Parts: sequence; structure tokens; C-alpha cells
Amino acid sequence: MTEHIVRAYDKELDELGRHIAEMGGIAEKMVIDAMDALGGVDLVLAQQVIATDPRLDALQREIEEQAVLTIARRQPMAIDLREIIGAIRIAGDLERVGDLAKNIAKRTVTIGPEARLPRALVGLKHMNELAMELMKDVLDAYAQRDVERAQAVWTRDAELDALEDSVFRDLLTHMMEDPRNISFCAHLLFCSKNIERIGDHATNIAETVVYLVTGETLPSDRPKGRPDFSVASLGTIGQ
Amino acid sequence: MSDASIAARFDPLVQGAAGEKIVVRGLNFFYGASRAIKNVNVSLRERKVTAFIGPSGCGKSTLLRVLNRMYDLYPNQRAEGEVLLDGQNILAPGLDLNLLRARVGMVFQKPTPFPMSIYDNIAFGIKLYEKLPKSEMDSRVETALRRSALWEEVKDKLGASGLSLSGGQQQRLCIARTVAIRPEVILLDEPCSALDPISTAKIEELIDELTEDYTIAIVTHSMQQAARVSAFTAFMYLGELIEFDETSKVFTAPREKRTQDYVTGRFG
Repeated sequence: MTEHIVRAYDKELDELGRHIAEMGGIAEKMVIDAMDALGGVDLVLAQQVIATDPRLDALQREIEEQAVLTIARRQPMAIDLREIIGAIRIAGDLERVGDLAKNIAKRTVTIGPEARLPRALVGLKHMNELAMELMKDVLDAYAQRDVERAQAVWTRDAELDALEDSVFRDLLTHMMEDPRNISFCAHLLFCSKNIERIGDHATNIAETVVYLVTGETLPSDRPKGRPDFSVASLGTIGQ
Repeated sequence: MSDASIAARFDPLVQGAAGEKIVVRGLNFFYGASRAIKNVNVSLRERKVTAFIGPSGCGKSTLLRVLNRMYDLYPNQRAEGEVLLDGQNILAPGLDLNLLRARVGMVFQKPTPFPMSIYDNIAFGIKLYEKLPKSEMDSRVETALRRSALWEEVKDKLGASGLSLSGGQQQRLCIARTVAIRPEVILLDEPCSALDPISTAKIEELIDELTEDYTIAIVTHSMQQAARVSAFTAFMYLGELIEFDETSKVFTAPREKRTQDYVTGRFG
């Protein structure tokens, strides 16, 4: 991209991009740590994740303030305008990802003493690996303004939805097997929902990247692998 | 460009875009031997605002001056191609220029009130085309001043000199003068470049209202102004028309790199 005649403008936009990258790094680490804490019943690590969240919130506010200031000061047009709107949107998504990681960490602290049944976590870890792949890809896509890569993330989120379905069935089975599992597994159900939502945020970011680069919006109906929570679909569980 | 585009659906300035009032086809313009406009094709939609933007010397003001043959006043300037006003080629020889300029009015960068009373500034132009009894003339002057959002400010001093008004008021007086003749098209050549922000806002509000009755073309150096007031935007560069589309499209996601570089301030 050619530089602006006013160089300070370029600096402002660069800084927005850098802040987004920083937020992305923090959010990714929070999710990974939250999941490690859950898997290893590491309450110290879980507390660290919770303590990191304010930093992410502060960064989001900083990005928003900076974006508003740039809009007021430069009246951005075209690619610059999309860049700034994109930064605001992505910052919002990343802040939410941090919240979801924090929620997993909080649940880890809650269920810590009664944690049991490591095999119930296998599916969840699998989901998380995929979610992290999507996050990493979409942040790279943002950094490199890579539309194809963003679109791939957008499509692949369906895999995560499908995984959530199987985790749901697993956890339900464990709950039916032994009522003592119910409380623990209910928390894990929320965790799987959180991870699924992290995937949704990755998808949102992917849409933003495509809009930012091309000015076009992706179709509103994304390929879905929605979990089927109907009673009929659960007929075989626990038999 | 399609009327069904998302941008158009949400853009009140574009909504209900009607037919083409002016169609420019294969226009070339020469100052002596140098060609200032190169094979431009563009059209002005009826009762919509079309903005022309581009760096100095890109030919946008020249194009505006072709639309009412203002250039005819100068020797060695000539236009080739077609400019159809309601299907009639206004570049054709033998055309009644006075009639054309009554149908296609123009307002310039610097306010140019005549050194006469406010009332006479408006009546002067009307008298060139029509002979009206005093009462009817009074009402025509009032209507024009109301139409230009100036009436409330000057109704008690219609006899005062037009030059006694502020810059913004003078410019609205010039618009009133143009409107008084009941043109079909109004050409605005950087009408706000000499005005303060409040006066500029008043003129923009006025432009918005005028689209109820008139087709408007505006040349402006302020991208933000083009974005605010126009339904369609044409970007010109070195005498060529680079991009013409709905304004919302040009300022959010232009197709051409040169347009993008210009509207984002990357030109040079």
C-alpha cells in the first residue's frame, strides 16, 4: 500500500494494527492457558488467566478510543475507513474471546476439588486445538490481509460445530452413567459452548478481514455443522 | 453499478434514482491545442446530486463549464463529442445559448452578487427572460429567496446592497438568483470553498432540498463534502474519468486503485 501524504496518518493506522496483534496474542494465550489449567487442574494457572483479562479489556478500550480519534481527525475513506472499522470489530471479538477463556478458568477454579474423569476432557481438548488453529489462522490472515486464508477459517468453523455435537453426546453419556458426574460435566458443557463461541468469533474476524481487504461482505449464511440437540438425536445415548 | 446494490438500498440520496437528465458521450475538450478532457462518458441522474472530484487540473471544472457551454465565451476553446440534455445535443451549432443557460444554471466558487440591491440581484435575471408585473415579480423573488434559505435573514432589507451580505449569504443569494430563473439543472463549481463551516452546512442543507426539483452537479475539493451531499461521484484524473459510481461505493470500496489513492490521501 502506498503511503499517505500525511505520514502521521500511516503511523496511527500501523499502531492500530499493532494493538490488534497484541490483543490477538494475549487472547490466544489466555485460551490455551485456560484449557491447560482445566486439563491439569492447575488452579494457579487458572487464576493467572483470570488476572490477564483486564489487560485485554484495557487494550480494547485503547483501540476504540484511538479509532474514534483517527476518524475524527482524518475522516478516513475507503480502505482506511474499512481498516479502522475492522480494528474496532476485531478488538470487540478478541475481547469476547478473552471473556470466554476467563469463564473456562473460573469454572476450573470452581470444579477443581471435584475434578474427575479425565477421559471426559479428550473431546474438549480436541475442540480447543481446532479453535486455536482457527484463531491463529485468522490472526495471520488479518496480519497479512489474506482473503483466502480468512475464507478458509470461515468455512472450517463448521468442523468445530460438529465436534461440539460429539462432545455434547459424550458428556451426556457420562452424566447418565453416574449422577456424581453431573455437576462436573455440566461445567464442561459450558466450557465446550465457550470454545464453540471462540470459533464463532474467529469466523467474525474472518468476515471482517474479507470486508477490510475487498470491501465485500461474505454471505450471511455460513456453512454450518450445527449440533443436533433434538431429543430424537439423543435416542441412542446411554443404551 | 447496480441500483440494487446494498449501498443504494440504505442511501437516501440514491433512493428512487430516476432517468438520466444529462448524458455526456465521448467528450473531448481543448484549450487551444491541449486536450483537457479525454473521451469522457458520464451521466447526471435526474433530481440527484452528482459530485465531480479529482486533483487540481483534472478537468472537473472544465467538464462543468461544458454542461452549459460557458466555454463559448472564450476563443480557442472547443468541445467535441455529445452532451445530451433530455436527449438534445447541446454542443450542436445553432443552439440558443441564452435558453440553454436558463435551463442549466451555474454558481461559482466565489460569490458573485451584482452591485445592486438584494431584490434586484434576483429580479435582474428573471427580467432577461420574462416580463412580469410587480406583484408577480415580488412573489418570484420571495420564492427564490425562500428556496435558498435566505428569506428569513434578508426579508427586512431587500433594498440593501447584495454586497453587504456575509460570504455565505452572498453565495446563497447567487443560488437564489440561479433558482429564480427556474432552471432544470444547477451546476455548482466549488460553491463552499470560500465559506466558513456554518455557511457550508447551510449550503449543503440547501443542496439537499434543491434535489426535490433540480438535477445538480457539484465540483468540490472537499471529499467529505462530496460524500455528504452527492448520490453519485465521478473521479477524474488528468482529463480522464477514472471511476463513476454511487457515492457510498466510491468512498467505502472504490474499484480503481487511483480512486482509492486519491480518496484516502495517498496521491502524489
